Amino acid sequence: MPKLKNSQIAALTLLALPVLVYLALYLAPLASIGRLSVDNGALSQRFPALSARFGETEAPDDAAAAALLTDLKAMARTERAEAGRLFNQELGGMRSLIIDTGGAATQIEPTLSALTAFDPRWGEPAIWEVVRRNVEPITWRHFQRATGLKPSAEGGFEMSPGDDVYLRILLRTFVIGLQVTALTLLIGYPLAYAAATGSRRVQAVVLMAVLLSFWTSLLVRTTAWVVLLQTNGLLNGLLMWLNLIPEPLQLIFNRFGAVVAMTHVLLPFAILPMINVMRTIPAAQTQASRSLGAGPVESFLRVYFPQSLRGVAVGGGTVFILALGFYVTPALTGGPGDQMLSYYIADFVRRGLNWGMAAVLSIFLLVCVVALLVSGALLRRAFGWSRSSAASGGTG
Amino acid sequence: MLGHLKLMAVSAIALTAAVQSASARDLVIAGWGGNYQDVQREVYFRPFAADKGIGFTEATYLGGLVEAKTMADTGNVTWDLVIVEGADLQVGCDEGLFEEIDWSQVPLKDELIPEAVQPCGAGNVVIGTGLAYNRDTVGEAPTSLADFFDTVKWPGKRGLRAGPRFNLELVLMADGVAPADVYKVLSTPEGLDRAFARLAPLRKDLQFWDAGAQPVEWLAANNVAMTFSYNARITAAKNEGKPLEFLWVNPIYSIDAWAIPTGAPNRELALEFINYANDAARQAAFSTRMPYGTTNVKAPELMTPEAAAEIPAGANIETGLFFSDAFWIDNGDAIAERWNAWVTQ
Repeated sequence: MPKLKNSQIAALTLLALPVLVYLALYLAPLASIGRLSVDNGALSQRFPALSARFGETEAPDDAAAAALLTDLKAMARTERAEAGRLFNQELGGMRSLIIDTGGAATQIEPTLSALTAFDPRWGEPAIWEVVRRNVEPITWRHFQRATGLKPSAEGGFEMSPGDDVYLRILLRTFVIGLQVTALTLLIGYPLAYAAATGSRRVQAVVLMAVLLSFWTSLLVRTTAWVVLLQTNGLLNGLLMWLNLIPEPLQLIFNRFGAVVAMTHVLLPFAILPMINVMRTIPAAQTQASRSLGAGPVESFLRVYFPQSLRGVAVGGGTVFILALGFYVTPALTGGPGDQMLSYYIADFVRRGLNWGMAAVLSIFLLVCVVALLVSGALLRRAFGWSRSSAASGGTG
Repeated sequence: MLGHLKLMAVSAIALTAAVQSASARDLVIAGWGGNYQDVQREVYFRPFAADKGIGFTEATYLGGLVEAKTMADTGNVTWDLVIVEGADLQVGCDEGLFEEIDWSQVPLKDELIPEAVQPCGAGNVVIGTGLAYNRDTVGEAPTSLADFFDTVKWPGKRGLRAGPRFNLELVLMADGVAPADVYKVLSTPEGLDRAFARLAPLRKDLQFWDAGAQPVEWLAANNVAMTFSYNARITAAKNEGKPLEFLWVNPIYSIDAWAIPTGAPNRELALEFINYANDAARQAAFSTRMPYGTTNVKAPELMTPEAAAEIPAGANIETGLFFSDAFWIDNGDAIAERWNAWVTQ
């Protein structure tokens, strides 16, 4: 092994810290989310006898009933309650069935008929199907519920109407993200242009305005929009005072309110990268194109704009990806039809205590963002939108 | 390198010291925020802490069991007391997330309504949930839950608590189901269909709130024409001069209970607090300012007749429905799934 020089040791030591931080703060939680999405240990580990029984045959018979009772007897009261709650996520009523059966397990004879006599639901194949599926260590029930795809009797997948709810919410999340991105770019581009090319005073004013809003808490800015847009809010008051509208408009608790507030919150993330790129575009190039006979519009479109696209891409990309994870702002300014995937992730964690579903929905979002970044990179390569070609496209 | 080791050793010692001092920490109480918790602080937290000569810290709780579950799983129990809804109390108790209450240590037990004496919790506050409106902007005052659905006479948004709980019961009562039959109807697929069908024409007008303070703000700002809300938040706002009204027709009443997360460092103190909070005079003082119901049967006698007329008790809940924790514990997941799908249509 070649001896490392002191400087190399120092470099490696310096590198170790960020790598460890990255592993601990990013990859480890990600791995645990991945595990949560399919892990069924909380159930499977508590049903060893039943699990072994189902390994031999799937039929709910006397042996299966005996195994079930053995497992229930071995569990503590609190463990039965948790197992019941997890079953209940798949089929309503399972919780009380497990708790009641478990509580009386010592008095029930280990036969299927005795079990069915205790509670007739144990005679239903659907109940046994849910039990059988969930004593396995890996579960796909969260993925099935999130995609709406259920295994059909023929071996393929089927989707019942209404089961695509989370796919539709995912689509909505992307649509809102795109709406917000488009708006921030439309509003941000002229502002960034002014900040990059205007007089010293204009630059200072625009930058100050952008940074002030950047430094203000997200909640404060969101609440400010509620005050502005609500029924008796400032905007409606102004419009009615000007006699432009006879009665207040619904500006909040709908898509309009959500998109406007999100656009404002995210605007600095679009403007700042655009300013950075625009400042690197030499003013002499635009002047040269003008002196060579191009009008202001042609000169802007053919010389300036192509070179600024890199900033647009960075700003727009940042806004879009940040927008996908938004939660508080649409919750306070949007309606029920404008809630994004994060709202449902939080809802599953908090109200449902269903961390499996929350994990699956988080993975959905992550996979989509990664897919988008990858396809963006591929597109850029296909169209040759690299730094040098953008510059050459501008000058050529 | 030696310097680094020293630094690590010092910080490790500092960390241990911090953990140790946390065991002798303040009593940490989690409540529902807003004016509800403000009044609790005045009537219960502050006097209790002063009596015991201890400090207290407050946290805000938004419902559910996520904090209790995390505390139990990690062993890092940061709350000593939390006021929870009945369904969460039951589930948390069954799964060992809350300490079992040693009722022999609670001398005031005999003065409580039977529903307040739970294995892991002490019912402290009776919550009324029903229709609320702004009398200045509503026009003609609504007189029944059915008016909530009349968007011709009362156009505008309708506020609902997020999720199906409480809402489906109120919808069925608005549709003419007697309070005694609500859960019977809701337990059948046809009954569930009926509730969703009754709500369907309102779908575009609904706005969901997560915190109990939101419907009060929305009504005051005229952002919604009517809303379902907790009674005392509305009445407390009314007593502060806001033009809000709560309709005592077919309200739902439920019980919020104090519970102690399993392994809470101050659990003895927390148990003393539970006894303290069930004192008739203190409950009367609380309900006079925050007109939720009392669980101490002697408390209403200690209130003025005017104040007692505002709480979910007696005549106010004659047409009311007692919220069923058991129904929602068993059916909550499946109905919430359908609710989400319906909202997202």
